[in-house]
Amino acid sequence: MKKMLTSTVILLSSLCLTTGAFAQTKEIRVLLANHPYGELLKTVIPEFEKQSGIKVNFESLQESQLTTKLTTEFATKSSSVDVFMTRPLQEGKMFNKNGWYEPLAKYDFSDYPKPVMSVASAGSTPYLVPLVTEWQVLYYRKDLFQAAGIAVPKTLVELEEAAKKLNSDAVAGIASRGKGAAAVTQLSSYVYNYGGLYLDKGVAVFDQPAAIDAIRYYGKLLGTYGPKGVTSMSWENIMPLFQAGKVAMWTDASVFYGQVVDPAKTQIPAANVGIADLPAGPKAQSPFIVTSWGIAVANQSKNKEAALKFLDWASSKDLAVKGMLANITMARSSVWKDPKVLEAVNPGLVSTRALAAEKGNAFDRPYMSAVGEARDQIGELIIESINSKGESAKLPEMAKAKAARVNELLKDAGEYGQP
Amino acid sequence: MKKNILHETLFYLVVIFISLMVLFPFLWMLSSSFKTQTDIIAWPPKLIFTPTLQNYEKVFGEQDFLKYFINSTVVGGLAVGLSLVLGLPAAYSISRFTQRKLALFILLARLMPGISFLMPWYIIFSRLNLMDTYVALVLSHMLIALPIVVWIMSSYFNSIPVELEESAMVDGATRQYAFWAIILPMSGPGIITSVTLSFIFSWNNFMFSQVLSMEKTRTLPIAVYNFVSYAEVDWGGVMAAAVAIMAPAIILTMIFQKFVVKGLTMGAVKG
Repeated sequence: MKKMLTSTVILLSSLCLTTGAFAQTKEIRVLLANHPYGELLKTVIPEFEKQSGIKVNFESLQESQLTTKLTTEFATKSSSVDVFMTRPLQEGKMFNKNGWYEPLAKYDFSDYPKPVMSVASAGSTPYLVPLVTEWQVLYYRKDLFQAAGIAVPKTLVELEEAAKKLNSDAVAGIASRGKGAAAVTQLSSYVYNYGGLYLDKGVAVFDQPAAIDAIRYYGKLLGTYGPKGVTSMSWENIMPLFQAGKVAMWTDASVFYGQVVDPAKTQIPAANVGIADLPAGPKAQSPFIVTSWGIAVANQSKNKEAALKFLDWASSKDLAVKGMLANITMARSSVWKDPKVLEAVNPGLVSTRALAAEKGNAFDRPYMSAVGEARDQIGELIIESINSKGESAKLPEMAKAKAARVNELLKDAGEYGQP
Repeated sequence: MKKNILHETLFYLVVIFISLMVLFPFLWMLSSSFKTQTDIIAWPPKLIFTPTLQNYEKVFGEQDFLKYFINSTVVGGLAVGLSLVLGLPAAYSISRFTQRKLALFILLARLMPGISFLMPWYIIFSRLNLMDTYVALVLSHMLIALPIVVWIMSSYFNSIPVELEESAMVDGATRQYAFWAIILPMSGPGIITSVTLSFIFSWNNFMFSQVLSMEKTRTLPIAVYNFVSYAEVDWGGVMAAAVAIMAPAIILTMIFQKFVVKGLTMGAVKG
């Protein structure tokens, strides 16, 4: 027995030694997301290793697993992560507050649109480099529009008329996310177009008349002309419906365009799918344009020099062009003017992005640390509105209570009243 | 006679109804794993379709699920094996010396939410440079397996008459020898039950493996998420991976089903 014990101890300690011995060569650990850009990076990392002499140990994870892993590693202060992909709107505020991002004072950010940069920095020093952006668009079925003899709606009033005309037993007039918290991001552009906001300078204002009107409009639209069971639908449920030809119009993020026109995934011919700007509301036409993914260096990194080198390379213009050619909507502005790119990318994407980059709003959700719970609160308003087709008399009162709750969350995090 | 037929039809109707409820999601998964993405999302659902193996090719070709299979098997096998080495004597001792508090303590480890162990484990394992090694995963999975072994086996040992060992000990055998030569050979069904259950729990464990494993030691439940990308889900791949993961668990259960029922109910009637 004793012998066995000693031999296990020796075995264990030798295991420790072998893993420890690697640390001498110059190498970094990179966490990537299961995202097309992560996939792209994986294929070109060997080139980086060759030109820089730095060995890259990478691992790719599904987005929520990535957040869990980063949070555990950073919170226990025993992380070996040097560079990681990150979702600025979902985790940025919390990560930054905890000091997990390394400030990027020397990086050249001149190539990024203004709304995009507002989530990359708190105050002055940026802490992440935006990689991918997405904005809200209207997908529509050209063939159904032609058959019904109507034009692509330019305003929300026209959108409702079109939904009414296109709605039938077989095909829903319009779809958009209705599943509570998941719908908050897609409702946001409607709120902005009605002249409202979720948060204004760190205070919840979605109980103001403009936001309530937008919530009522969204509820009426989906409750009356939406697919059955829309209050339990997120993009995972709506995209298949659109791909199966059961929906005439769909408002959601631009990121789905590739899948909607991919013949291996959809039953409707690509020629019948149109993409247009989200129609203007009574006050504005300001769809969200968000940085869905960025890349950052870990503040705890022990190889910052090598890590920054990797960051520069991974967010370079050359790779951004490669990304564009792989149907990824990159954040850098210059690549949207690259002739090679313009030749390959759908003009509808280019024009909708141009509008969003100019007039868009950088947030598609209340930007705060407790974003998850805040989304749950607003999500309940959306469901109430859809279920009552926008008529519910309780809405203003409910909104007031929910806004008060979100303000409490802001106060708890010390973010109340902060820009 | 008439009443009998009525009874029987009713019986079978209920059986069919319940089996459908249980089997439907499984059959759906199985059929989807042979469909293309367009067939999966087709509405109304396609019952007749041209089957394709492309999803399985992705699972075992592009994604290297064989590696994850080996990882899961090694982790589950070692965790269950070591749990038997420690758990069988522990269970015997709990059963023969009625160590209720000890038993409760072991159960407590199982009742505590697993996530509360993760942070300390992470700190310890990363300081010891044991991240992404089998050692960390096996130790963490023993938290799953050990309580199962101890609890099933202690009630199983309760059902074996004490007189058996006592007579051996009267004849000069030590307690250790009696345990080894008399009790253990009689405990087949109990051991098989605890091995099957604890192996399946380890096989399916997501939380511990998610944080403690990395690329080299990634286990199957984590690897299924390789098919879930940002704003895109490869349903065919997910379904095929799920079928591949469930197969060993189902086969294991089918082989040992008889023992599992026996092992679980053994000792249940004894006060």
